[in-house]
Amino acid sequence: MTRKRRRLWIVVACALGLGSASALALSAVSDNLVFFIAPGDLAAKAPPPGRDFRLGGMVAQGSLHQSTQDGRPLSLFTVTDGRASVVVRYRGILPDLFREGQSIVALGTLTKSGQFRASEVLAKHDATYMPKDVEQALRKSGRWNPAAGPAPAAASWDTMNVSKAGG
Amino acid sequence: MDGSHILTNAPRPGRPGRSLHRFANPGRFLRLAARVQPWLNALALILTATGLIWGLFFAPADWQQGDAVRIMYIHVPAAWLASAGYAGLAACALVSLIWRHPLADLAAMEISPVGAGFTALCLATGSLWGKPMWGAWWVWDARLTSVLVLFFLYLGHIVLVRAFDDPVRGQRAGAILVLVGAIDLPIIKFSVVWWNTLHQPDTITLLGAPSLYITMLWPLLIAALGYSATFAAIVLARTRAAVMERRIRALLAARAEALS
Amino acid sequence: MTHLPYVAASYALGVAVPAAFALAAFLRLGLARRRLAALDPRARARGPGKTGGAA
Repeated sequence: MTRKRRRLWIVVACALGLGSASALALSAVSDNLVFFIAPGDLAAKAPPPGRDFRLGGMVAQGSLHQSTQDGRPLSLFTVTDGRASVVVRYRGILPDLFREGQSIVALGTLTKSGQFRASEVLAKHDATYMPKDVEQALRKSGRWNPAAGPAPAAASWDTMNVSKAGG
Repeated sequence: MDGSHILTNAPRPGRPGRSLHRFANPGRFLRLAARVQPWLNALALILTATGLIWGLFFAPADWQQGDAVRIMYIHVPAAWLASAGYAGLAACALVSLIWRHPLADLAAMEISPVGAGFTALCLATGSLWGKPMWGAWWVWDARLTSVLVLFFLYLGHIVLVRAFDDPVRGQRAGAILVLVGAIDLPIIKFSVVWWNTLHQPDTITLLGAPSLYITMLWPLLIAALGYSATFAAIVLARTRAAVMERRIRALLAARAEALS
Repeated sequence: MTHLPYVAASYALGVAVPAAFALAAFLRLGLARRRLAALDPRARARGPGKTGGAA
C-alpha cells in the first residue's frame, strides 16, 4: 500500500513537473509555431524584405481579378484580416476552394511596393459543412453572403428546415 | 486494497476482489471478455457499416467541397480514435506503473499497434482530403505536426516494449514513454486554438452547436461510434490472445522443468 | 461524384485498415485458444470459451 502510494505520488510529481515545463517551453516558442502571419501583424512581425513567409487571411469581396499572361493564369486579390489588407499577386492555378470570402494561406515575399508576390496559395477551409440547399436558403434569406465572409453562428442553421426557410 | 495477493495465484474463483483488482485476474478477465466479445463485434460491424455507407452514399455533398467532404466520415473518427486510443494507452501505463497490474502491461502492448494503425489512417485520409481541398498533401502546421508526433509515440512504444530481454523492463520503459508523451494529447486538441494553422478548428465541440448540418452530423457520429467499437473489439481480442499466449508459455515452461 | 479518386482511396483505406487488424486478431485468438486447449485439458473443461466468442 505505502509503496503503491509512493509510486502514485512520484508519477503525480513527474507529471506536474513535465507538464509545467512543457507549458513554459510551448509558450516560449509559441511565436515560431504560427503557420502564417495575418496582414494586421505585418507591421509588427514583418520579416526582412525578400524573405519567404506565409500570409494568411480572407480574400476580400470584389477584389479578385483574374487574367491570363503568357498562357498562365494570373490572379490579383486582396487578403484582409479586418485590421489591414495586402494585395497578393499569384501566377498559377488556384485551389478548388479558392473564392472571395474564403480564408487562404499564401507563401511568398513582400515586394518594396507592399504587394505580396505569392509562389503558392492554399485554401484554408473553415469548420463549417452544409449541403447546397442550406447554403442557398441562407443566401436567399439574406442571412449569409459567402463572398463577404464566414457563415453565421452554427446554431442558427445546423438543424434548420430547408424547405421552409429557403423556398 | 487487499486484492493484490490474488494476482500471485492465477485463477481462484469465488474470492471477491475489490474494484479494479477483480479484472486484473487473468482467468476472470478471459471469462468476462469471452462474453463481451460477440456483442462488441456485432456492435462494431453494424455501426461502422451503417456510418460509412450512410456517409458515402446518402449524406449530402458539401456546398463547396462537393463529395470530397465524405472523407470526413473516415478521417474524423480515425482522428478521434488515435487520441482516445492513446488516452487508453496512458491509462494502462499509469495502472502498470503504480499498481503493477500485469494485465495493464499486456493491454498496453496490444493497444499501441492498433492505435498506430488508426493514426496512420487519420494521416493518410487527411492527406487525401488536403490535396484536393487545400491544395497540398501535407503542411507543417501545429495540428498536422502534433498528430505526426502521436504516430511516432505509438511507434516508439511498439519498439520499446519489445526491445528488452526482460519483458517487465520493456513494459516499464514503455509506460514511462507513454506518460511523458501524453502531453501531446492536449497539444493536438488545442493546436488549432492556440496557434494559427492551416487545419480548421474543431467542427464538433463540447460547448456550442456543431457547425455542420444535421444530415451530416448523424452519419459522422455513427461512424465514430462504429470505429470506437471496432477499436475496442480489436484490442479486446488481441488482449485475450495475449493472456492465453502467456499462459501457454507458462505451461510449456512448467512442462520443460518437470521433464528436466 | 466529384473528387472520386480521393474519396474512393479514403474509403478503401478506412475499411481495409480496421478489417486487417480484425482479421489478424481473429486468427491469433483462434490459434492461441487451440494451443491452450491442447496443452491444458483442464482449461478445456472449464475453459474460456469452448462455445463463447469468436473474435
